[in-house]
Amino acid sequence: MTNQAQISLVPVKKIVGRGQGAFQLTIQAPPGDYADPGIFAKLRVLKGEFPLLDRPFSVHRFSPQTGELDFLFRVVGQGTEALAQCQPGDLIQITGPLGQGLLALDPNFAQKPIYLVAGGIGLAPMASLLQSQKEPATLFYGERLGQSLIDRDYINSWAPGFLATSEDGLGYGEKGRVTDLLTKALAEEKRNIFACGPIGLLAALSPLAKAHGVKYYASAEAFMACGLGVCLSCSRLTLDQTRLRLCQDGPTIDGLNFDWNKP
Amino acid sequence: MTFLNAALGSLSLKNPIMAASGVFGYGLELAQFCPPESLGAVICKGVSLAPWPGNPGPRVVEAAGGLVNAIGLENMGVQAFVQKALNPLKDRGATVGANVIGRQMEEYAQVTEILSDTAVDFLELNVSCPNLAQGGLSFGADPDQAARLTEMAVKKAQGKPILVKLPPLVSDITLLAKKVEEAGATGLSLINTVPALVIDAKTRKAALGHITGGLSGQPIKPLALRQVYLAAQAVKIPIVGLGGIFTGLDAAEFIIAGASAVQIGTAILVDPKSPLRILAELKDYFISENIPDLASLRGTLKNPNA
Repeated sequence: MTNQAQISLVPVKKIVGRGQGAFQLTIQAPPGDYADPGIFAKLRVLKGEFPLLDRPFSVHRFSPQTGELDFLFRVVGQGTEALAQCQPGDLIQITGPLGQGLLALDPNFAQKPIYLVAGGIGLAPMASLLQSQKEPATLFYGERLGQSLIDRDYINSWAPGFLATSEDGLGYGEKGRVTDLLTKALAEEKRNIFACGPIGLLAALSPLAKAHGVKYYASAEAFMACGLGVCLSCSRLTLDQTRLRLCQDGPTIDGLNFDWNKP
Repeated sequence: MTFLNAALGSLSLKNPIMAASGVFGYGLELAQFCPPESLGAVICKGVSLAPWPGNPGPRVVEAAGGLVNAIGLENMGVQAFVQKALNPLKDRGATVGANVIGRQMEEYAQVTEILSDTAVDFLELNVSCPNLAQGGLSFGADPDQAARLTEMAVKKAQGKPILVKLPPLVSDITLLAKKVEEAGATGLSLINTVPALVIDAKTRKAALGHITGGLSGQPIKPLALRQVYLAAQAVKIPIVGLGGIFTGLDAAEFIIAGASAVQIGTAILVDPKSPLRILAELKDYFISENIPDLASLRGTLKNPNA
């Protein structure tokens, strides 16, 4: 019933724009193992105004060798705005590592070819997964608006040959939805799936995975207050009626045994 | 730190800082940040007879510098709490309060009866949760109902101290406080969250799945202080103050208003170590202000013109 998490103060090493309103934040890695894709941390900027609660972010990349921990985020409100204003040397309060990663849920997942499905800023944990993936992996990445697509060259640097979509067909992606690409790919070759993005997308992938008889894991999100398993803000149901706290029993969950319809 | 010793009836507390119900889980989850035995008491998440599923999400949203929640008292049920959480907590030396919830009077009675046979140190009857259709606030808003519930719980509790956690918005907090005192309560917890609504004008959607929720945190501190102050004039039993306590000085303000102890709620969600910091700050305040003990500060509010 206890957490592995620690609260640390670490300096920002780099912050780089990665497209419209999107940033890659590199901080000095605090103590703790952040390698399992899907693990997250709560961040708080210590200078200036910050909202009441820390903000949760999936780990984007973790490099124990260089001692760097990266987050990829989009500015959507006060917390992310404050984070975007950070300069190298500024102190960040980080609480982590938090939650359950993909390999804790399924240790063999990376040993087979996979499809990665990212909706919007759900792109963040995909880099972490590809860091350890040896088997073929194809990343499908979709945005509603083409202008929101994160820099192509940057994604190519860690997910060569990735495929993108946007619903308005603007930007570099194909016009359509990321699920269209996945449907096509599954018809050609069945592979297990890992996805992260809006709940609507994650819900839509469940019947698709079921129909093709492949495994499906998702990194889901919910508004959370504590991130430490006590407040039950992020509690959701599995299909077999077990309660999950997305902050602790997730955010990585078995997408085939999750009640996507009950908020 | 004996000068900060506190008491609830026959129960003595090593200090006046408690973790409020709902923000400290079942008492052990945050132990590496804030050892439960270092606090005056920890009040565990409200427990009902059988597990409750809680409300649909979103269950929490920030507003006005505070937090609005509608968790809906999701809990593992009293039996699971007793089996899984209580003994490890007691083994660590923690003083443990159990928050009791129910949909009907009978459910409160059964939960109280079960807890009375355990190592729980005291009970806190929650008659003020704003996020329940039945039970909760519907008991606390009516002084006679609250008194009947208290009387029943006192009978079932086999001498364990009983705090009654009251709602903030009632027409006369002193009447409610007196009735609950007459019914045999050991003390009062004041206040629960303030009923609230958060709306997004662009989408016209409520922020919470339950539509309404309860506001907590710094915005409710002045309201809470006033209710503690009024209730403290009306009753002789100890009052445990809560509502937006983030610092040692906040805690001192509640004691000045008449509280014998305080609970930390939202601050723990922001920083799980905060109760220890608040305790240290309160201690510094007592030392720097040369106050010998809690009783010397309690209820010492002054009129600015006096």
